[in-house]
Amino acid sequence: MSQHREEHLDLCAGYALGSLDDADRQALEAHLDEGCPICAAELERFEAGAALWSASAPPMRAPQALRRRVLDAVRAEAAENPARGTARGAADVGTFRPERPARARWGWVTWGLAAAACLIAVVGVLERQEATRRGRELTAAREELARLQARLDEERRWADVLTAPRAVTVQLAATPDGSPNLGARATYDPETRRALVVFSNFTAPTGNDYQLWAILKTGPSSLGLVRADSTGHAVVRLADAGDPASLAAFAVSLEKEGGAPTTTAPAGPVVMVGKIGG
Amino acid sequence: MTGHDLDRACIERLLAGDTSAMEELYDRHNDLLYSLVRRIVMIASEAEDVIQETWLHAWRSAGSYDASRGSVGAWLVTVARSRAIDRVRSEGTRRRTREAVEAEPQGTVAPDPLATAAETQRRERVRAALGQLSPQHQEVLDLAYFGGLSQAEIAARMSAPLGTVKSWTRQALARLSELVPREEWL
Repeated sequence: MSQHREEHLDLCAGYALGSLDDADRQALEAHLDEGCPICAAELERFEAGAALWSASAPPMRAPQALRRRVLDAVRAEAAENPARGTARGAADVGTFRPERPARARWGWVTWGLAAAACLIAVVGVLERQEATRRGRELTAAREELARLQARLDEERRWADVLTAPRAVTVQLAATPDGSPNLGARATYDPETRRALVVFSNFTAPTGNDYQLWAILKTGPSSLGLVRADSTGHAVVRLADAGDPASLAAFAVSLEKEGGAPTTTAPAGPVVMVGKIGG
Repeated sequence: MTGHDLDRACIERLLAGDTSAMEELYDRHNDLLYSLVRRIVMIASEAEDVIQETWLHAWRSAGSYDASRGSVGAWLVTVARSRAIDRVRSEGTRRRTREAVEAEPQGTVAPDPLATAAETQRRERVRAALGQLSPQHQEVLDLAYFGGLSQAEIAARMSAPLGTVKSWTRQALARLSELVPREEWL
């Protein structure tokens, strides 16, 4: 066995941090392979010190979504290939390796085993890369599915407005200030307070905007501007059209571009009105 | 049963295919791993990728964990750090990091209020002990541990002889193991 020297302990410290250059690392590994008990004990102590230094990183909070993402990925991999997931064997820890490799001491048998292990490791890495790729695709597909499901649920909630047992439909009628071509129909569910309002021929004159109002017992309350497409068609979804105990009618006014100065009273002429239950 | 015992039991459960053990390990260790990885990888999305790779590695390679070499926590820290340094050494990440540093204010992530009080206190005690190291020792450890620099690169960075850097490294790690009681080790 090569004689233990003080400089070996310096190398052990660098080895624990993974900061030795190749020549120093190979020299120390050769010495460790010979079973130096002093270096083995010191290396263990230095590795513990290196791990402790991780605590000097400023504490950060991982996003909660990351927990779900990680655990979903593990479960997906476990479901796909439960037998391979936790197999004992060579570890793929990346190319930067501060981790101390296992030491072998038996001539050609060792080399044969090492060669076999390398082959297994290479095959394993390729398999794991493929599994990782498939895992990522699966995760992305699941995220897309969740997004589409959420959108579908939202669409269903809006469709439910049309079929709700207590929903009322209000056909708005043009006032003398409004064009007879204007069309608007509101469906209001007093239970959820949601409403869908469909407009036709609602292309506003240049420099103007149509504005939708809820007429409450306390007075008008703006429900927003009506932005029609190029054909004059528009659908406005109202998450809260108003308290059913107070909501008496829907109305539309023609305002200057940008809408009325206040949200409690139209400034321009009222062009359509539809009374609830009327 | 200590935290180390619970961790080793989790490894055995992973080997039996029990993925719920992964949840326990994640909840006990991920704050430290995330803090460590974010210290090395500046881009949050890249750091999250590294964290996922780390836990997938833990799942796939639970059989490679050797209790005689250290705790499960130390093993996870080693894996996370290796992968984080691999990540920042890739050219694409270096470029994206430069862009992120130019585009985003740094240090916007709040300290974790959810960590358990005991673990928070333990980490505070460890951090207080680490703070007792000399500035040179802290810098050497920072450059090697978080920066992934070789001793030759550290010597050049600190304008110090290579032999001095080697001595500082050894002194720093020896001092660390003295400053932190063994029961506080990872």
